[in-house]
Amino acid sequence: MTSPAVAVEASEATQAPRYVSREPELIARVVAGDRLAARELYDAHAPRIFRLAFRLTGEGELARELTQETFIRAFAQLGRFRGESALSTWLHRVTLSVVSNAMRKVKRFRAREADLDEATSIAAETRRADPDLRDKLHRAIDELPEIYRITLVMHDVEGYTHEEIANVLGVAEGTCKSRLSVARAQLREKLAPYAKEWLE
Amino acid sequence: MMRNHDDQLPESLRAAARDYNNPPELAGADLDAMWSAIEDDAFPRRFASPSVELEGRQPRSENRWLSARNLLPLAAVLLIGVAIGRFGLPRKPQAASSNVAMRPGAIGDSVAVPEAYQSTTSQYLGKTAALLVSLPSEVQSGRADDRFLGRAHDLLLTTRLLLDSPAAADPRFRELLEDLELVLAQVVRLQADQGRADLDLIRQALDQRDVLPRLRSAVADISADN
Repeated sequence: MTSPAVAVEASEATQAPRYVSREPELIARVVAGDRLAARELYDAHAPRIFRLAFRLTGEGELARELTQETFIRAFAQLGRFRGESALSTWLHRVTLSVVSNAMRKVKRFRAREADLDEATSIAAETRRADPDLRDKLHRAIDELPEIYRITLVMHDVEGYTHEEIANVLGVAEGTCKSRLSVARAQLREKLAPYAKEWLE
Repeated sequence: MMRNHDDQLPESLRAAARDYNNPPELAGADLDAMWSAIEDDAFPRRFASPSVELEGRQPRSENRWLSARNLLPLAAVLLIGVAIGRFGLPRKPQAASSNVAMRPGAIGDSVAVPEAYQSTTSQYLGKTAALLVSLPSEVQSGRADDRFLGRAHDLLLTTRLLLDSPAAADPRFRELLEDLELVLAQVVRLQADQGRADLDLIRQALDQRDVLPRLRSAVADISADN
């Protein structure tokens, strides 16, 4: 299976250099209301944006909605894009903003659902008691504080570089590395009881 | 890229982490569906929408006999007529002493397209011509599969995008795009078996007017202009 990081690099390779050289022209045309140019920008970036949205939400329908929301917002604000960062970086910034807002609402909703499940079902408790390593890890990632989860997902899962993540999040690369380190440490701590299993 | 290897997760965990919320591959139809929602929201239409589905459109004529099925051969004949008029006739030699310069972005002899759209438009016209030319044989031989119809769908989408762009500012080119939209919309709806009767009419028109070689030559001309 192709690793996500390789897939991302391959996707970028197919974009460049023809698309990249045309990007400024396409942006200008979108700002002027040109749908054809907008579709071209969308085609170039939507798959990667959707991947990230899916990784962070875990739900296909929600990821689709958030991808749509990202582009709607991006096209509305594109006139203010000054080209100080790459368009891809700017789009990812919009994506994270859209996803974070949505996930706050989703988490509140899920928390209420979980309370209800706990009160009414012992099945869920049974499942929690005996998950396999993969489930344990995924649950541990779910429970990471948002800034650590985003950093870990972008770097370790999707294969973004520290530089890319730092640009998207608007922090120094050192901060990004530090967050990743904390995220990994928290995962190790949560999975410590199962150390034998994951060290095998 | 520098990495701090000290805090790397063990390989077993890293491999499991890569499966975290593993996204499905997006199909072309998924991208189109999302785009449709984005387009509706981000680009409100300023005039009669060419991308509204055909069923939802106001009929161009009140005649009820003009069903969608009947429109296919009519639209195809219209398209072929337009193509012959635009590309089939021999070009008039340019007078060396002419004071009138060729309009920028002209395609063929009569349609002006802004320069920024020339490349896209040429590619689009070439692909559309190729698809329409191969349509009868594809359907007759039962090869008009999902992939073929998918190509028609993509071209239909491009037609609608072009209709909404400055490329369609020229009324004659706009008219051609509208005809192509109609034909492609019907091609997308073709079922391999049911489409044969309609395709016979198209094929007759193509044969009688010797259109296929001329259409190929027109596509080559357009490519050469670019």
